[in-house]
Amino acid sequence: MHVLDAYGMDTITLAGPLEAKLAAMKAAGFSQVMLSARDVVGHPQGLQAAVAAVRASGLRPTGFQVLRDFEGLSGHLHHYKVDIAKSMLEMCAALDSKVLLACSSTSRHATQDLDAIARDLRKLAMLALPLGIKVAFEGLSWGRTINEFTTAWDVVCRADCPNLGLGLDSYHVFAAKTPLDAIEDLDPDKIFLVQLADFMWQEAKTFEERMTTARTFRVFPGEGVHSEQLADLVLRLQRLGYRGDYSFEVFNDDYQQLPLDTVAQRARRSALWLNEDVLHRAAPLPAWVYNKSRA
Amino acid sequence: MSHPLFNREAVPDMPNPAGIEGIEFIEYATSRPQALGQVLESMGFRPVARHRSREVVLYRQGGMNLVVNAHPEDARVSATVDGSPVISAVALRVRDAYKTFRRCLDLGAWEVPSHAQAMELHIPAIHGPGGSRFYFVDRWKEFSIYDIDFVAIPTVDPNPPALDGMSYFGVVQYIGPNRSADWIAYYQEMFGFGLIPDDQRFGILPKGTLLRSPCGQFLWQVIEPDPWMESDSAPECLLRVGLGVPDVASAVQHLKARGVEFIESAQLHPEDRGALTRNQLGSVSFELVHQSAA
Repeated sequence: MHVLDAYGMDTITLAGPLEAKLAAMKAAGFSQVMLSARDVVGHPQGLQAAVAAVRASGLRPTGFQVLRDFEGLSGHLHHYKVDIAKSMLEMCAALDSKVLLACSSTSRHATQDLDAIARDLRKLAMLALPLGIKVAFEGLSWGRTINEFTTAWDVVCRADCPNLGLGLDSYHVFAAKTPLDAIEDLDPDKIFLVQLADFMWQEAKTFEERMTTARTFRVFPGEGVHSEQLADLVLRLQRLGYRGDYSFEVFNDDYQQLPLDTVAQRARRSALWLNEDVLHRAAPLPAWVYNKSRA
Repeated sequence: MSHPLFNREAVPDMPNPAGIEGIEFIEYATSRPQALGQVLESMGFRPVARHRSREVVLYRQGGMNLVVNAHPEDARVSATVDGSPVISAVALRVRDAYKTFRRCLDLGAWEVPSHAQAMELHIPAIHGPGGSRFYFVDRWKEFSIYDIDFVAIPTVDPNPPALDGMSYFGVVQYIGPNRSADWIAYYQEMFGFGLIPDDQRFGILPKGTLLRSPCGQFLWQVIEPDPWMESDSAPECLLRVGLGVPDVASAVQHLKARGVEFIESAQLHPEDRGALTRNQLGSVSFELVHQSAA
């Protein structure tokens, strides 16, 4: 056990080749990594080399992202997306990642019928099931029909499939200003992923603003102006009984041009802030204590 | 606004949405087909036909068809487990193979591409657990699919009787930790299998969860590793076949006479409810389960 075990970075936060990203995370003390498909397929030696790099790093995949705009389509669009989903699932399995992140559709071609959306998500979960993969469905704050975790939870419940659950991203929760009380309605065992990020603006009112901020100016938990809210969110999840991973989903143009170690150290500070100042989790005993008691 | 149509007379949902009507054949893949053949013959199966284009032999006893696939491409899976045979497919009898197949794909099954050669049957299939496949066969009443793809082995009885009235009883699938809910949902969704209550058990190996095919003709048992077996990270697989038999003691006696060995320990030994054969070739065992004669 290590203090940072419950927290992980995301490959999208760092610049550079995959191996360098993994090495920087490891050096900062992290033991897990959220993998982005782009970072994996973009490996100059190809997918197999990327899979080997992840294995060699010893970092456990938190999850694999991201399947977009899957639900609500019909006819050839639906079949096209099923094919895309299958390819994503195959990569997810190759990486030994147990969670695929799917985010809510932004497409105007998709239906807004929640039962139809639930039916598609159930199909996605069935596709993932034989591979041993769970699907975490997340409401993007600029999603067309589902843009809050409350609606995302509604369709997850309608779909009612054991390997389909919720992906929570603090950024989208704050951008959409969803009241945190609704967290009490969630089943902690059906929260398959929690992604944390803060940001520097007080508000992101329009979908346009939310999108730009989400993609260029997120910061690590504790670095932005929503730290209090973020602490509140994490404490509520703790109280609810959530004991899963926290992954830092930080898209930031500045971090993309800083040395990897510098950014990874910021992530480490953020994880320590969460662990010690927010969650007040006990620091595990050092290894010599165990060794002594065993002797 | 439309009004929902309430089910006033409690008319049950379609009980068998996939139209399943039994097991047509079970397939083993192996790079050691002769060795597996010997094990099968000791269990009462007889080789009756050979595939026209592939290294595949059909074994049979009574109503049970069993296919041994040693075609190099298919047998590759067996090579990864030191040549031990693996249960590579279960072919389900269905009312309409195309309909069942399409329905499964619509619900999120993975399609298996067909490798049928000229004049051979294209049997639709979906991926099952751990690299296995589910085939759908709808032409089993009016004629035999084996007449098309297989050539009968001369001089042998094409329909050898079943030893002690044995028939397919079910399949045991090993699954990953905490995966029961997943696989139960999968089989309910795809095949309309129903859960059997925990207090209802058959045979002598009651672990895991039992499901029943909607046709009532076979069971499916999914078994997780015990919680303390943390090192048990073996991939999910179809592990063994259960054979229903009206008189377990008599079957055990006859099989022993043919050289079949049974597990005989304090906890697990042949009794009226069932018996388990000793593992052969590293992976092949059969479970006998008491089943009243139909």
